[in-house]
Formats: sequence, C-alpha cells, structure tokens
Amino acid sequence: MTVKGGTSQACAACKYQRRKCISNCPLAPYFPANQTKMFQNAHRLFGVHNIMRILNLMTTQEQKDEAMKSIIFESDMREMFPVTGCLGIIKSYHLQYMQAMEELHYVHAQLAMWREETQQMVDHNYSPSSELQLGVTNPARNNALLVPQHPQIANNSIPLEANHQFVMNSSTITRVDNYSFCVESSEDVTKPLWIQHLNFNNNNGIESVAIQSQLENSQTFPIQQETEVDYDEIPFDTMADDRQSYIESKDACESSCCESPWKDAATHATELISKNELKNAAACFSLTSAK
Amino acid sequence: MASSSSYSNPPCAACKFLRRKCLPGCIFAPYFPPEEPQKFANVHKIFGASNVSKLLNDILPHQREDAVNSLAYEADARLKDPVYGCVGAISVLQRQVLRLQKELDATNADLMRFARNEMPSQFPGAAHYQQGAGFSALPYASHPWSSNPGDSPEGGGDGSA
Repeated sequence: MTVKGGTSQACAACKYQRRKCISNCPLAPYFPANQTKMFQNAHRLFGVHNIMRILNLMTTQEQKDEAMKSIIFESDMREMFPVTGCLGIIKSYHLQYMQAMEELHYVHAQLAMWREETQQMVDHNYSPSSELQLGVTNPARNNALLVPQHPQIANNSIPLEANHQFVMNSSTITRVDNYSFCVESSEDVTKPLWIQHLNFNNNNGIESVAIQSQLENSQTFPIQQETEVDYDEIPFDTMADDRQSYIESKDACESSCCESPWKDAATHATELISKNELKNAAACFSLTSAK
Repeated sequence: MASSSSYSNPPCAACKFLRRKCLPGCIFAPYFPPEEPQKFANVHKIFGASNVSKLLNDILPHQREDAVNSLAYEADARLKDPVYGCVGAISVLQRQVLRLQKELDATNADLMRFARNEMPSQFPGAAHYQQGAGFSALPYASHPWSSNPGDSPEGGGDGSA
C-alpha cells in the first residue's frame, strides 16, 4: 500500500497490518518495507501493541532505537531457537565464562609453581641435591593450591552440568587424583560472577534474575554494534545442547574479536577455548576436563 | 444438582489472570501454577497471552516447560530493563568471555616462557588485556536507523514476504 500522492512505500509493520502508513509512523524507521521477516518475528513474539507500549516508555530517541534493536534481536533469537531464545545464549556464555575462569585459575597455579621452583633454584644455586626435590610432589604445597571449590561456584545456584576436574601430567609434577581447585590470585580475574540465582531448570520457574555487573558499570550500556551479525551460525537447538553445538559449529566461525563480538559469538568463544587447550598441551602438560 | 466443579482443579495463574474458565486442556496450566501469579502476569505484560499460546503450540510438549521458563526470564529482564531487556546480559557476558580469553592467551604465553626457562617480561602478562577496550558493542547488527551511516541492515530480514 503506498501513500497517496507520495513515493514512500508502506513499512513492513503497516504492510502486514494492511493499513495506511502515515508519515510519522513510529515503526517505519525500524521495519523497512524490505524486511518483512524481521517484523514478523517481532510481531510473533511481542505483538505490535506490546512493542508500541515499550516504545512509549522510552523518553529519548536513542532509547527508542536501542529498545527496538533489542526487541528485534530477541525476536530473531526466539525465531532461531524457539525453546530457549536468548536464555540459552546467556546460559552458554555463562558456561564458557566458568570454563575460561577455571582454566585461568589452573594456568595461574601452574605459573605460581613455576615461579616458586625457579626461585628455589636461584636460592639453592641449583645444587644436585635440590634437583631431586623438584621432582617430588609436595603434598603440603599442593594442598596450598587445593582449596575448596571456587566460592562463586559453590555458592552459585546455577545448576551447571560442568563440575570440571583436571588431570595434569607434567615433566616434574605428577598428579594422579582428580580435584577441583581454586587459586588465590592477585589478579582481578577472580571477581565474582555477576549472574546470580539463575536457575534454568527450576520447575517453579526462574527464581531470581538479578543481573548485576560487578566488573563494569552495568547501568551504562555501550552504543550499538555497527557490524553485521550472522545469526545462521548460532547452533542452539535445546537448552541441553550447549557445548557440543559449539564444537560442531566452530569450523564455520569467523572470529573477529574487536569489531564484531556477536558475529558467531558463541562459536567464536568456543574456538578460543580450543586454541587455549592446544597451547596448554604444548606447555608441557595436558589438560583434560571431565564432567 | 451439586456443582460438578466442586472438586475441579483450581484455575491456573493464566486463566485466573484472564478471568476465564480453566479448561482441562488449558495449555498454560502445566506451566503457570496458581501459586505463581506474577510469572504469568509478567509474561502476559511483555509478550501477550495469545503470542505465548501460539508459541507453545508450535513446539513439542516436552520442550514447553523450558520455553515458558525462558519467556518468563526474558519478560522479567525486560520489565527490569525496558531498553535492553536480557540482551544487556548477553552483551556483558560476551565481553567478559572475550576478555577472559585474551587474558588466558597472555597467561599461557607466560607459562610457555617459563617452560622454556625464560622470565616473562611483565607479570601478570594479562595486564595489557584488562582494559577491555574494543568490546563496547551490543550483540546485534547495525540497523537502518543506526547513527552510524554506511552500515547495511542485517539480522533476520530477508526481504521476502
């Protein structure tokens, strides 16, 4: 339907609703005529009335733009993943975060041991007798690195299936028991997770969805992403299908860290983790995770 | 003449909210118990009961509980943050994961240097990556109304009717 006497085409919203698209149609900027699928997704999930209600809550044009982008994104994600929607993506990112954190703790532990041994060598002037001590696993020292589970993991109510345990073999240190560990690090990487009380499988529904960023100001969201996003590569099907989907789809991932963090973001993160695992293997120890 | 509904199940939260009779085959009943009225109220406020009903009808019965939980989460997130909803959480998580990955790369590099009996030039080696610069983006594409010109629209639209 075209505006009488005008050249502008009706927006996708008005075209779908078969009504006249006025000049100041509030949805026209966000749903161009050639993007009918985008509007259909948004309409299927939210509905025009609810979209307008959210838009009317916004006070500035920038807020409206941001709100519409998030609505369209949510709608597209729901269309791609009808069961989990955005929640599945959040869960997967959280899982990746936990895995990366544990791996970082492990590597810090390794570094600490290396530094300690190097310092011992320096202190003892590398005598033949001290060389024997390096090959002995010091239970006391190992226990210093073995503390109860990460406090955030222990206290977190997220029922993650990955209770990772690492078996490590190195040229000088041998550990035969599986354990979960936490290393006190001087780095700020051990700042607590900010997703709290997120229960995905609770039959009673989501108990609490308090999401607060303790690492950065959570109230100030950055401006929108400028680069394109390829939704087709996001391999989410069910809530249980998380890591395996990453492994299967990582070959199709194009990684570009800074410019497009959402471009194949899920598979990109998994690809990075895989690369790190290879590097760790090269660093004289093998790292395996077992659920 | 006794009422046949004297021993019927109490209406689900959805039918109670909508003030209608909760029929035995009510699609909302298994997922919106009457003890949680706010759950359906939030979902209805953001998405609408008819949209939720259509969505549940389109998926398999064993997946509906997960779908309802995800919808409830998204609705709650949208109520708390009308601008970004749950997308803000995705953005922050994404940045955190990328930051951790870079830090992991740097720390692994330090470890490899130690393995080769080299002292790292700077420890912690991840100090360069702690700023998190360059991750100021939300996880969706540019749009025609974006303030950045020259970006092509993307994201779900294929132009087909």
